[in-house]
Amino acid sequence: MLENLGLTYALAGAAIATFVAGIGSATGLCIASKAADGVLSEKPERYGSLMLMVLLPSTQGIYGFVISIMVMVKLQIIGGNPLPVTAVQGLEILAACLPVGIASLASGIQQGKAGAAGIIMTAKKPEMAVKAGVLYAAMIEFYAILGFLTSLLLLLGIKVVAA
Amino acid sequence: MPEIMEQPLFNFTTYPAIGEDDWRYIYATAEIRAIEDKLLGQPFFAELAGAKNIKDALDMLSGTDYAVSAGANGQETEQMLGRRRSEVRRLFERLIDNEKIVEFFQSPIDFANMRLAIRRLVLEKPLSDDYCDLGGVSVAQFEAAFSDEDYGGLPEHLQEGIEAGVLGYYKNKNVRDIDFAIDKVEADFLLDEAMGVGGVFLEELFRIQTDLTNIKTMFRMKYSNSQLRNMFFDDGYIEPSRLAQCLEAGYDTIVQNFLATPYQYVVEAGAAGLQKENSFIKLEAACDAHLNGFLKTTRYITAGTQPIIAYLLLKEQEIKMMRMVLACKKSQIEPEIILDRLAI
Repeated sequence: MLENLGLTYALAGAAIATFVAGIGSATGLCIASKAADGVLSEKPERYGSLMLMVLLPSTQGIYGFVISIMVMVKLQIIGGNPLPVTAVQGLEILAACLPVGIASLASGIQQGKAGAAGIIMTAKKPEMAVKAGVLYAAMIEFYAILGFLTSLLLLLGIKVVAA
Repeated sequence: MPEIMEQPLFNFTTYPAIGEDDWRYIYATAEIRAIEDKLLGQPFFAELAGAKNIKDALDMLSGTDYAVSAGANGQETEQMLGRRRSEVRRLFERLIDNEKIVEFFQSPIDFANMRLAIRRLVLEKPLSDDYCDLGGVSVAQFEAAFSDEDYGGLPEHLQEGIEAGVLGYYKNKNVRDIDFAIDKVEADFLLDEAMGVGGVFLEELFRIQTDLTNIKTMFRMKYSNSQLRNMFFDDGYIEPSRLAQCLEAGYDTIVQNFLATPYQYVVEAGAAGLQKENSFIKLEAACDAHLNGFLKTTRYITAGTQPIIAYLLLKEQEIKMMRMVLACKKSQIEPEIILDRLAI
């Protein structure tokens, strides 16, 4: 049983990257969508200007998913013949997946909240939708990108060889 | 009644804290923000107050929520204002989705209906049908309870209010004592409710309203040289003893008593209005402006009950102002006097 421990750790890392980042995106999208629905119930003509602010938190889930795919490719999971991975290598991959997961979780939720605030502002001042609403919320994206890059560079640095 | 936390005045600058975001209310808050810009601002009321006559004033209302036919009489205008109030109450109940908060805002209407009913009961006048139907207890239930003199079906706090009101009256056979007794029960009940809801906003709102009521009472008592001294509620931030001291002092000293408190400008306006014009108009306007200022701090909340509550109160305030301006226009009162009352 213990000979698969490394692979188990690595796959847990891939799962965390997708699930945790996905939770961040889903929660952020939920918050922003509710805000947009509230505004659209009174001002349906604002649909176009709100769309981008609602969609902004969706990118975090994609970053997590990309890192998961990279793990699967690295371990040749997709081909059906996974490489043998030592426990240490497995833990390294798990650790490499954490930055994108955690950064995406936090930034996804906060971006959803910032997007919701922008949506609410757009209800009153549509001319500020891009200048403030989108731009401020988009700044939070930077930290999700940092998490993604950190995970990416860490993964690229881990060499998986036969145990 | 719960023990009131001592909070000295220096704990806040102008307005106290209003609590934090509650993301469960993001949809409701967004809907409120989308309709908030339909609230009529001061420039509109200034223009309305300056209308040549009531017909011009009614013409100006076309395109707003308050549109009525050009030849609408007072009763039709009043019905329109009643409909707007019912609508805003229904919107509030739909969006707030919290029974305790809904009950908090329905209770003052129930207590007002009860005051009316008790007055009629003790003065042995016939029960009428001019109750407000926006309270938590239906008008039919009220009428049935008072005509049968069986109050068991009413909520406990109203039963307590009825008992206090009737006992208050029979102590001195003075109708005003009904109000004093019920006011006390109402204040205690509302403070309990505000604290029970959780969050600080309702409690702060209630305390500010209490302070403003106490300040108005203090000026009215001083103006009429009343000998009563225990008429102040102790649920606000201002100590009743400070208000009682003001009754013995001159207007300048009253203002000094409130220096460096959030109510400094309210008291200054009230004292100036009474000294120079023998009028409460400036006091009333300053109290409204202070409360509105507090409600407007909710713009810093992205999601929560605070903006929804603020909208209800601001909209009801707008309806009150509309009623006042239209009544003044009908009575051909000078625009300057109307503007003074509206604090414009």
